[in-house]
Amino acid sequence: MTPTLIDAPASLAPVVRDDFSAPFFEASAEGRLLLRFSPTSGAWSEPAARFCSVSQAADLEWREASGTGRLVTWTVKPGRATEDRPAVPTVIGIVELDEGPWLSLLLPRADPDDLAVDAPVRVAWARPEGSEVLPVAVLA
Amino acid sequence: MTTRAAIAGLGMTEMGKVYGRSATDLAVDAISRAAADAGLSLADVDGLYVNPGIKNDTDLRLQSTLGMRNTRVLATIQGFGSSAGQMVQMAAMAVEAGMAEVVACVYADAPLTEGKRAGAAYPGQARAMTGVGSLPFAAGLKAAPERYAVATRRHMHAYGTTSEQLGAVAVAARQWAQLNPAAQMRDPMTLEDHQSSRMIADPLRLLDCCLVSNGAVAVIVTSAERAATLAQPPVHVWGWGQGHPGYVNRRDSEFGLVTGAAQSGPAALAMAGVGIDEIDVRELYDCFTFTTLVTLEDYGFCAKGEGGEFVASGAIAPGGSHPTNTGGGELSSFYMWGMTPLSEAVIQARGQGGDRQVPQHDLVMVSGNGGVLDFHSTLILSPHPKAT
Repeated sequence: MTPTLIDAPASLAPVVRDDFSAPFFEASAEGRLLLRFSPTSGAWSEPAARFCSVSQAADLEWREASGTGRLVTWTVKPGRATEDRPAVPTVIGIVELDEGPWLSLLLPRADPDDLAVDAPVRVAWARPEGSEVLPVAVLA
Repeated sequence: MTTRAAIAGLGMTEMGKVYGRSATDLAVDAISRAAADAGLSLADVDGLYVNPGIKNDTDLRLQSTLGMRNTRVLATIQGFGSSAGQMVQMAAMAVEAGMAEVVACVYADAPLTEGKRAGAAYPGQARAMTGVGSLPFAAGLKAAPERYAVATRRHMHAYGTTSEQLGAVAVAARQWAQLNPAAQMRDPMTLEDHQSSRMIADPLRLLDCCLVSNGAVAVIVTSAERAATLAQPPVHVWGWGQGHPGYVNRRDSEFGLVTGAAQSGPAALAMAGVGIDEIDVRELYDCFTFTTLVTLEDYGFCAKGEGGEFVASGAIAPGGSHPTNTGGGELSSFYMWGMTPLSEAVIQARGQGGDRQVPQHDLVMVSGNGGVLDFHSTLILSPHPKAT
């Protein structure tokens, strides 16, 4: 299934896969978010984790996550105006997924005035030119 | 009798917009100055630790550039902003173990290019965007300002820390810099100047950010006994520590709230055998105003969460109860990673601070912070020999 993609903002850089991340990007192309899960600890870890972020167990496997969470913190980079266009602010947040792991995600549609700690967010998908499908966040 | 280590020499090159000199040439200059400052020649130096900065264009091969022969300890050290403290720790252990007698520790970098903005010197992550590990960088958390910004906002939300309180750190640093003829930024700064400076990565403004400098700083570490025979007042190394929290990206992470200073500081105080209330002078790594504030909390100069009120009270400024970053720090004097606080600590411990000298300087606490609050080192220095 192909996910609904939102327009990739210019600030979202392309990412290509390697062997480790291939399952993540196979799923992202279908609009599914995979995290790492440790069967022995029962805890979830971020996609880049090699060891369980709670128990340090080496038994992590990919598992599909809900894709919903809340905003932990964020920054707004004001951007620079050019002759052709005004400055475009960039909002980047740390999102705590319901399963526990944090993802640092671009919030391409967020109005900086709407941001708040604990604001509910969900993962959406965008694909920059020459990139895998990447997670971004939208305010729920 | 136990051998203990002391800092016997300090060498600093020109700082800031110094163009046309490589990091290696700057390092040679700083080491030569440090040896001369101690009353030693380069032939006396039998150990070398080299910390290249962000450009990473000098290393342990500096040994041959310096013409050193039969060197007894030698390495490139990379602990980012914690490197200076780490090098002194390694040098002190080498001296105390009898591996080497005179160890030079140097930081050198030349990230500034003439005609280019300072921000271009630290562009952030440069590696190819491959794999899930690069997702934060692809999203835009690349350079230090935005990465410290998310940490700072977390502290603000948890403890009510305000931008005005961060501004108090910047203003205090500038007030100290005005007393330091070697500082790069000596124009007066008010809280209003801070509040009206342009946003770099909300909540961090331009005047929350440190400078970017070309230059080099070296120190000479030797035994306390030998240091006592040399040209400068010895600065004795009483204690040290490190703390590297290894933040995980998940619920309950202390990122932005508690740093490696909370482990490193108490370890250094315990080794020195002194309490936090006995520290007279603080020289803290201040890549951003927030770093000063959170380090003060984690070392225990104020309670966790009260750093904002503490700095806003004037405690860290000239005339305050807790003199901190007395040369102007990385915010207003110069940015040589951990050599900025270390060099000022040596100057203060010796009593050579001129207009900015803190009258009571029996114990000086020095921090080094690297990554995004990921890596931390601490030194406790004193003009007095440590009782054995």
